[in-house]
Amino acid sequence: MSSRTAILRNRATAEGDVTSQTALPASDVTAPHGLRKRRGVNREGLEAGRRSTRTILWILLAVAMVLYGFPFLYLLFTSFKTPIDTIAVPPTILPKEWTLENYANALGRSGVLASFINSVQTAIISTVLSLVLAVPAAYGITRYKTPSGRVFIMAALVTRMVPPVAIGIPLASMMSSVGLADTPIALSIAHTTISLPLSIWLMSSFFEAVPRDLEEAATVDGCSRLGALWRVVIPVVSGGIAVTAIFAFLASWNEFLFALLMTAIRSQTTPVVIANFQTQFGLDWGSMTALAAVYSIPVILLTLLLQRKIVAGMTLGAVKG
Amino acid sequence: MSTRNTISRLVTLGGLCTAVALAATGCGAGGPAPTSGSAASTVNVLVEAGGHAELTGVAEQCKKDAGIDVNFVELPYDGMFNRLSSEFSSGNVSFDVAALDSVWLPSFKDAVQPIDEIFTDEAKKDIFPALVKEANVDGHFIGLPAWTNAEIILYRKDLFEDAKNKADFQAKYGYELAAPTTWKQYQDISEFFTKDGMYGTDVKGAVETEWLAHVLQAGSPMVLDGDNVVIDNAAHKEALDFYVSLTKSAPPGAAQVDWAAAQNLFNQGKTAMTRFWAHAYRQIPKDSPVAGKVGAAAMIGGSAGVAGVPGPWYLSVPKATKNADSAKKFIKCAYDHNGLGIESSLGLASRISAFEKYQDQPGYESFKPLIETLNGEATATRPATAKWQQIVDTVLVPLLQKAVAGGDSATLLAEAKKQIQDLLK
Repeated sequence: MSSRTAILRNRATAEGDVTSQTALPASDVTAPHGLRKRRGVNREGLEAGRRSTRTILWILLAVAMVLYGFPFLYLLFTSFKTPIDTIAVPPTILPKEWTLENYANALGRSGVLASFINSVQTAIISTVLSLVLAVPAAYGITRYKTPSGRVFIMAALVTRMVPPVAIGIPLASMMSSVGLADTPIALSIAHTTISLPLSIWLMSSFFEAVPRDLEEAATVDGCSRLGALWRVVIPVVSGGIAVTAIFAFLASWNEFLFALLMTAIRSQTTPVVIANFQTQFGLDWGSMTALAAVYSIPVILLTLLLQRKIVAGMTLGAVKG
Repeated sequence: MSTRNTISRLVTLGGLCTAVALAATGCGAGGPAPTSGSAASTVNVLVEAGGHAELTGVAEQCKKDAGIDVNFVELPYDGMFNRLSSEFSSGNVSFDVAALDSVWLPSFKDAVQPIDEIFTDEAKKDIFPALVKEANVDGHFIGLPAWTNAEIILYRKDLFEDAKNKADFQAKYGYELAAPTTWKQYQDISEFFTKDGMYGTDVKGAVETEWLAHVLQAGSPMVLDGDNVVIDNAAHKEALDFYVSLTKSAPPGAAQVDWAAAQNLFNQGKTAMTRFWAHAYRQIPKDSPVAGKVGAAAMIGGSAGVAGVPGPWYLSVPKATKNADSAKKFIKCAYDHNGLGIESSLGLASRISAFEKYQDQPGYESFKPLIETLNGEATATRPATAKWQQIVDTVLVPLLQKAVAGGDSATLLAEAKKQIQDLLK
């Protein structure tokens, strides 16, 4: 075990084990009765305080769950409503009559299946592009710590501050002039401009958390720098890579503006098709919510599948040596 | 090492997925390859999602008549202007025909080709006069109206024909309850039906077209008379005061009511009347409480008579397309088979003869009022300025929202005049 890892473990033992603080200290056993009683009262007060804190936290958690979950639940319920139910005034949460008609309408519409394929293609290519570029970039920045690296990572952050609409139109023109107009590859490249800065920042924080000693040990054992990265560092940050991949995938999966500006017949993605249910002549809530519900299934499954990796990755990113 | 194996598996899987995705992209799995400018027999048509159905029948017929395949590119309305702007300005267009909202014609007049040859004398007689005028920009016809619309009156026939309502209305207002034809009648009927949780009508504060129709009914050009801003004249004030006067007979929150909200209110049976686009008559859901109980009448008239603001969409050919010949053939098909749009879910056309063919058929009761409104002497299209959409978004809608919230109409109109003058400088 490296010295750095040992330090980290000691620190976790010293700071992280909250329950050890509640155990009866040895001095209490020998303390006078009055003092023990007072300390007992204090302990009960502490327990009561902790219970109420826990209750408050649970309530806050429930509120947060409702705030995040209700819009999706409402969308889901609306997708099972009859046309007149979807536009009820005042609106109702649960359908009066459950129907699958909206799903049949939405999925039967021409172009929906093709748009799903396009969304999957675009998101996969964009995610892989982001990871392939972000992992070495973040590794270089965190390990070499050069001034140009710092400028680079700040520049990456600045690109996140530019409104997508400002680069959307020039990007569309560029793709058109290089013959990539209306292709998933062009859209993937555009989506990579969104996810890459975030990916670099995320991966940087994950690499920061990996002790250098691990790599040094691998180098002593005969690994090259790249070998150490591949055999030692990457497995350690695999959770972080999963988190980054999820964010990159989601950024592409849900992106609308670039898809609107850059796609036509060949590469239109599902968010644009979903938006097409709102027309100048009416809004087909039922079909729109049905397609949105179907479209959210893959990301929900992906998140559930990688849940453990995500939690591990987030924890990894949160610890700094 | 198991972690390394997992990583290797994930990397392999990622690589495979990417390879499959790239291969699928190359094989065109997500749709046919774009063909603009290359295959002369294929035409790409850019259309707002709601208008797609209108042109589907035409596309099928065009395939039979002229051997032209049509690919539709559907986009949501809110994003279409940006897309058109970006493609027109870049000089590379992904479409050969674009369906343009009438308000965009002046903005894109330099990016589209003249199609004068389609506007024969016969064609000009068969298209509503306001649309012929609007399609002509700087002496050339640059768009063929594919379908048009206008606001008419939709009302609850069952309530209007109810004997008790008729008697009560007669007793209170001294004339027979019937579909309104004047502003006064519209006010009276709205007031009469505002009871028992129901409202006589709606007031739409979030959209401007309806108020502008009232301005035309009051005898003034809307907002601009040539280069002069006339939004502060007496007709505009009269129309605004009438518009605001209906708020007491309308659901609360008028400032936020738009087309969708108004349509919902009517279809839910919450309002007895609505001034609404004619297509809505055929789009009342079958399970709506008002289905089968709705009547249609021409738009109300003011001192200048019946008037509406047409809402046509024009088919135009971009100058940048290399497929202009086929594009123009498609537009000719759209003119020749214009009536096919009536069979679509939207149920609209642009030729007078197409509307007249259906007007006496059951289910098309909205067509006669629509024809009457579109033929109204005071009916006029929106001012032909490239700044129109900006004027609407930044001046007219905020003006209406303040007015329905209780603002002083004269002050608001004077402020609006100054704002518009600044925008047009």
